Amino acid sequence: MMSIVEFLFNPWVRGILGLALIGIIFFSAVITVWLERKFGADIQSRIGPNRVGGRFGLLQLIADAIKLFTKEDLIPAKADKLLFVMAPIVILGSAFMMIVAIPFGAIVIGDNSYPIAATEFDISVLYLEAVSALSVLGIFMAAYGSNNKYSMLAAFRNIARMIGYEVPLGISIIGIAVMVQSLNIVEIAQAQSPLWFIFVQPIGFAVFFISILADMGRLPFDQNEAEEELVAGWGTEYTGMRWGLGLFAEYIHMILGSCLMVLLYFGGWNLPKFITDIYVIGMFAPIYWFIAKVVVVVMTIIMIRWALPRFRIDQVVDLGWKVLFPLSVLNLLWAVALGLFFGA
Amino acid sequence: MTGVIDSYIPVAIFFIVALITPPVMMFIVHQLSPRSKAERKLTTYECGSVPIGEARIQFNVEYYLYAIAFVLFDVEVLFLYPWAMVYINHGITAIATVEMFLFIVVVLMGYLYLWKKEALKWVK
Repeated sequence: MMSIVEFLFNPWVRGILGLALIGIIFFSAVITVWLERKFGADIQSRIGPNRVGGRFGLLQLIADAIKLFTKEDLIPAKADKLLFVMAPIVILGSAFMMIVAIPFGAIVIGDNSYPIAATEFDISVLYLEAVSALSVLGIFMAAYGSNNKYSMLAAFRNIARMIGYEVPLGISIIGIAVMVQSLNIVEIAQAQSPLWFIFVQPIGFAVFFISILADMGRLPFDQNEAEEELVAGWGTEYTGMRWGLGLFAEYIHMILGSCLMVLLYFGGWNLPKFITDIYVIGMFAPIYWFIAKVVVVVMTIIMIRWALPRFRIDQVVDLGWKVLFPLSVLNLLWAVALGLFFGA
Repeated sequence: MTGVIDSYIPVAIFFIVALITPPVMMFIVHQLSPRSKAERKLTTYECGSVPIGEARIQFNVEYYLYAIAFVLFDVEVLFLYPWAMVYINHGITAIATVEMFLFIVVVLMGYLYLWKKEALKWVK
């Protein structure tokens, strides 16, 4: 038994097995696209996809994939070819590099828990924040490369938004790091064993939730797409699969952002010991528990998209700098006070 | 169990996969998708009319100021990370806390100054 665990924890084996996570996340992003269309249709009293694959349009995903693969790939004559081609790689790369550090639940055997992650290291939260911010660079590359006015507008707005929300996001994560004394996301998840951090730091959670919505570019913060005003934002000049890669990257970002939220504030995969002690079922129960929470968060984010109108860009910037930043500092002070009270 | 560098090996593997995946997908697309040549369809989209001028314009200098404000605060956040790791249980709790408070007060004064100068405003 021990040798199997040691073999699986070999970094090379772990990295290569971890590639399966990319496949799983990619597949769940495809499902989320369908879910968003169907769920959005329900919210707006429409029918939604119902032609391909029965009443629920389940095969719509496959039809969409075939469509994306068979569309002609166009690069505008005035575009900067290198930037234009590299941009989806950077956007998707940012999402892939996030997958590596996120634990998707854990297998619990007795008192040991083995997180299902491609790797775990000391600064994984900082790493995740850094890598997820890289997608802005990709969006700017896409806009500058395609030499389109709508794209440039979208990119400027996108950068202004990211600039305003990176700082509150970072400070609210420090609020957690102060409590746990660690930046390792596995340790942070395990530290919430009895009490979830959403109950300890409600202000921090509010700041984190709004900031991560902006970070993922979800409505009401999707100024980088803003279909009604900017055609398709950064993706205006993109066609077929090249655009599809960006689309999937956005949905992967949304799923991973929800995972991050569950890990940081909703107690991760922790279950009471009497459940994990059940033979075999208990071993895998933490994974299901984790996935269930992620699904709830994803559904909430989708509901927010269909319920709230888009903010104007100056409102977005004001909210980031003038409301969330002071609140995040307030939360940091609260976290420090708690840390001093319980830790010292 | 594993060394510090070892835990980054999967990151390197994922990095290579992230670089390879889009070109592979685009290769498949190039095999499947139709091709046709026409001058017109390679023009930039601008609501159907002929594009006027370049999109790569000079942007407002205030945008630059705004970005500098971000760099200041983001670096401040980075300084807080190592502090958050060590301020408890390393025998420096009192002095570390006081120092952090001073640091945050200075940063907040800069923040109020920026607010007063309207550097955080989108359109003046």
